[in-house]
Amino acid sequence: MPRYELCVILKAMQRPETAAVLRRTVETLLERGAVVRALESLGERRLPYKISKHDCRHTHGGYFSVDFHASPKTVSELLDHLERDIDVLRPTVLKKDTELSQAQCCGGNVRDDVFRE
Amino acid sequence: MFALSFGRLLLQALPKQPVTPRATAQCIRSLTTCQQEPLKKGDMPIKMENPYKTPPKTCILCNITVDFRNVQLLSQFISPHTGRIYGRHITGLCGRKQKEVSKAIKKARSMGFMSVTLKDPQFIKDPDICGIKHFE
Repeated sequence: MPRYELCVILKAMQRPETAAVLRRTVETLLERGAVVRALESLGERRLPYKISKHDCRHTHGGYFSVDFHASPKTVSELLDHLERDIDVLRPTVLKKDTELSQAQCCGGNVRDDVFRE
Repeated sequence: MFALSFGRLLLQALPKQPVTPRATAQCIRSLTTCQQEPLKKGDMPIKMENPYKTPPKTCILCNITVDFRNVQLLSQFISPHTGRIYGRHITGLCGRKQKEVSKAIKKARSMGFMSVTLKDPQFIKDPDICGIKHFE
């Protein structure tokens, strides 16, 4: 199954409520036959710009990342579900590509007339 | 004009004979001794890699993975006043890395990790990679 990463921004809430939202999300994933690999917290921080979602203008949010394996059908259903969730501000699912070959980075493609000191 | 053509006619008229140097015995010896010295085996140049080879030129992000989550790194390539991404002639990155950085910045912006119109205030004091001089 292809590997995806869900980067979600949740509303700034108390700990038990955040936990409840994450639990809901992971349960939705597991219901549809996904294999959740990892769930990481990227901290609660100030949003880079004010996000208006579900009739509310937000300035702070909690960033979380869920690593999972799922079929492509499940992913579209999941996004649909998250868009409807009031506590989720911005869900994004990315495909986790296999590591790009690090062979021969650059190799002399740097220009000499670069606008630097 | 006539003189020139006359001169050319004269040259053509002269018999073309190759001028050979008068080769005497002594002369031949001196010529040959310089060229044919007995080749000593220990005297041949040793094959080695060029010791003065310059290391291959790399851009500053060589062998560094660019991630959309690494907002601090990405913020070094945007303008502090407008948040616009700097071009290749300013950042000095190679083609591949410039594309990666550009894509990562746009991804981070749309996902809500990085601001669009400005540079995050906590990253303004970061060291200047691009070296661009802003109009003060």
